[in-house]
Amino acid sequence: MATKELTPAESAIPANGNGSYTGENIKILEGLEAVRLRPAMYIGSTGEMGLHHLVYEVVDNSVDEALAGYATKIEVTIHVDNSITVTDDGRGIPVDEMTLDNGEKMSAVQVVLTKLHAGGKFDTSTYKVSGGLHGVGVSCVNALAEQLSVEVWKDGHTWEQEYAKGIPTSKLKQTGTSKRRGTKVHFLPDRTIFTVTEYNYDTLAQRLRELAFLNKGLTITLTDERTTDAKTGESKRAEFKYAGGIGEFIKHLNRGKSVLHDKPIVMEGLRDGVDMEIALQYNDGYSETVFCFANNINTVDGGTHLSGFRTALTRTINYIGQQLGLFKDVKENLTGDDVREGLVAVISVKLPQPQFEGQTKGKLNSDIAGTVQALVNERLGMFLEQNPPVAKRIINKAIEAARAREAARKARDLTRRKGALDGGGLPGKLADCSERNPEHCELYLVEGESAGGTAKQGRDRKFQAILPLKGKILNVEKARYDKMLGHEEIRAMITALGTGIGKDDFDAAKLRYGKIILMTDADVDGSHIRTLLLTFFFRHMQGLIERDHVYIAQPPLFKIKKGKREEYIKDERDFVRVMVKHAAEGIVVRYGEGAAKLEGAALTKFMGHLNEYLGFFDKVNKRLRNEEVTNLLAHAELTKRADFENKTKLDALYKDLEKIQKKYQFKGLQKPVQDEEHQTWSLSFSDAQGAERKIDWLLASTPEYRQMMSKHGQIKEMLEPPFVVESAVKGAAAAAEAEEEAEAEATPAGDVQVGKAVPPGGKRGKAPLEPVEKQTPRELFEYVIEQGRRDYQVQRYKGLGEMTAAQLWETTMDPERRTLLRVRLEDLVATDDVFTTLMGEDVERRRKFIEDNALDVKNLDI
Amino acid sequence: MSRKQKILRCPTCRSVVTEKDENFPFCSDRCRSIDLGKWASGAYRISSPIVDPEVLEGLAESIQGQGNDDDQ
Repeated sequence: MATKELTPAESAIPANGNGSYTGENIKILEGLEAVRLRPAMYIGSTGEMGLHHLVYEVVDNSVDEALAGYATKIEVTIHVDNSITVTDDGRGIPVDEMTLDNGEKMSAVQVVLTKLHAGGKFDTSTYKVSGGLHGVGVSCVNALAEQLSVEVWKDGHTWEQEYAKGIPTSKLKQTGTSKRRGTKVHFLPDRTIFTVTEYNYDTLAQRLRELAFLNKGLTITLTDERTTDAKTGESKRAEFKYAGGIGEFIKHLNRGKSVLHDKPIVMEGLRDGVDMEIALQYNDGYSETVFCFANNINTVDGGTHLSGFRTALTRTINYIGQQLGLFKDVKENLTGDDVREGLVAVISVKLPQPQFEGQTKGKLNSDIAGTVQALVNERLGMFLEQNPPVAKRIINKAIEAARAREAARKARDLTRRKGALDGGGLPGKLADCSERNPEHCELYLVEGESAGGTAKQGRDRKFQAILPLKGKILNVEKARYDKMLGHEEIRAMITALGTGIGKDDFDAAKLRYGKIILMTDADVDGSHIRTLLLTFFFRHMQGLIERDHVYIAQPPLFKIKKGKREEYIKDERDFVRVMVKHAAEGIVVRYGEGAAKLEGAALTKFMGHLNEYLGFFDKVNKRLRNEEVTNLLAHAELTKRADFENKTKLDALYKDLEKIQKKYQFKGLQKPVQDEEHQTWSLSFSDAQGAERKIDWLLASTPEYRQMMSKHGQIKEMLEPPFVVESAVKGAAAAAEAEEEAEAEATPAGDVQVGKAVPPGGKRGKAPLEPVEKQTPRELFEYVIEQGRRDYQVQRYKGLGEMTAAQLWETTMDPERRTLLRVRLEDLVATDDVFTTLMGEDVERRRKFIEDNALDVKNLDI
Repeated sequence: MSRKQKILRCPTCRSVVTEKDENFPFCSDRCRSIDLGKWASGAYRISSPIVDPEVLEGLAESIQGQGNDDDQ
């Protein structure tokens, strides 16, 4: 302990001009010695916080003058030597002589600057309310200042006095006359005490700004002489003055944020001697920002004023929510956390003799919770009742917060371990494999109990594990049904995978299988389940997709049988290919007036294109609902925007439509008209059902139209009716054996293509065909397919469960023979879109989307 | 075919996200956990049309058999 430091006290004796060293003196000096010995007890720390605290103490005195209604302006200056000057235009510290309890006479200024617990703060008649540090205020600053000078302008005179380390080095002197009023305190913090001696402009600015907000109309300036503008030579300076008070404070805190209601809600009142000013405003964020002050002191640890406010906020919002009937689908009341998401609030109370807890007054202890609560209940309740739209927005946000909280709880439940009785914790439904090296293991996620059973029988149990997932049917109505994967299914999946879930817990390295293979039926339902699973992986297990762990099995859609030979076919497209190829061995197609001939590989290729063309054709036709019109449209070759910018092609189409308008009872068909807005031409008519049909650039720019036209371009020469199908002449069959170009999709997994093509038989023994004439491409297509099918028994698989275990192994699970599609991240971005629509709250849009797309399984394929 | 860069949105709050975001496809961990909670509580349901009368029968059975289901 540096007892030598006590010398300032000793040195004070001669300065007093009083030779006697008495007990009384020691008693008086004790206070400031204590401050210098244990500064942290008085100002919190000797670091940055304490250093800045000195300024706040002096400023608080000036603010008290403002609160009392005498000061309007406070100027704070940081000098180059990091000394501080605080000037106000208050009444000025009293300069008259006082007689102390011990009979000693001393100027009031000196009492204020040298006595702890002195000054007017404990006398509530001088200052009704006051901040300051337990009234130790300025005397502490004085004790901890290397030098301090005070200047008082009062009653036409100027008074000055100097101190060093709390000890007067001069007497209070009247040095001149002045018309000003106020006090100026200049001090240099003692470098032997503070570990930090450099003032931070921003720290001071923030506190001074706060004070300006809290004291409506008060002007506070901050000047930093250490920083000067290179051009003007002027010091850095800011002025804080807010006529709007804490309402403006709220706006300041919410700047740059999007708020739920334009104006902060301001509540003011004086009750039980407590002056309360409370303002709040919600933004669309999730954090809570609340500043609370008691007598201008930022009570960072809250206290009674904050707890009163919070109780009232929660209660009032719940009450108003009930009144407005907003809690229909909310089970419990909103909690405090719920109603504080996005809350920005400032609570400022001013009260006589506040009780604080802790050295730095971080917490208010005065018994005012009830007073604050009553004011907020009343005023906030009234405001929300009178402003239902604002109330709804605030309450709905809190409801959302409650839902989020509930969701987070459920999410945690997903990975919470069950009781110790569950053994290793692997789901009971999982049929695991015996191999332990994850790299060699595969997990099949199979939808449906029966398919799951078949897969369990058919698998190679050494390395293939099966997890059956049961989609829970929720309801069946109006020709549709809803399905979901329940909590247990999701949980079982996460447990089987072993990766954990959620931002902090998910770890792709813990995956128990090298390949996760989704195996669902090749129908709409299967496709939806797949979408569901893929969306889950995309959103919550992206790491698995990035590391190429997720695959889709390709079970066959058809089994075709001819004699004893069986063949599996994975999709419609392959089916058409096989059928056409088979048909092409025995037939020739002639087209157009010139009766040009298509046969063999060329015919197979043409039919493949024709199949795709008809697919797109059907989609376009959904917009026009008349195949003949769609057909004419395809032939009109309106492809580019330029085709709509002049009307040549549209005129031709108009003439074609004119010919059929009677047949279909079209009304209002007119020559092409120009759309002023787009400078394009269009045709329109209404059909027999009265629906308006329009052929314009908008239609031509749809994807289905573009795809239709693109396919049309590839085969248009051959799309010339009439089409004549006749038996091939000898030798044509041989040509059919020529391999047609590989149209099959790439097989990224590298596994072998499904099924083995049956070698085209040489001897057909078919009866020769009578030539048959077909008028439209579709009739031609259907007829050719029919010819191909003639010799086959075709079975269409509706689900995996229709296959035997051996068939499932052979076609879908055997690594030597199966085809797998690897799931890539890019594909899933699109899947998520599909999913969002499927899950969307807009029921109508969802219904339409499913109608338009769901039946076309291909479309949902990735 | 040149495709425009698609605007990606957070599945929970629909705010715009990019693939580089830490929480992609979500904007924040909060939104991620809300979504996970929806999965956990069976909020995501798919709706399928019934095209085959046989399917309808199958569904009716499976709903009946659901009584002792352990979900929730």
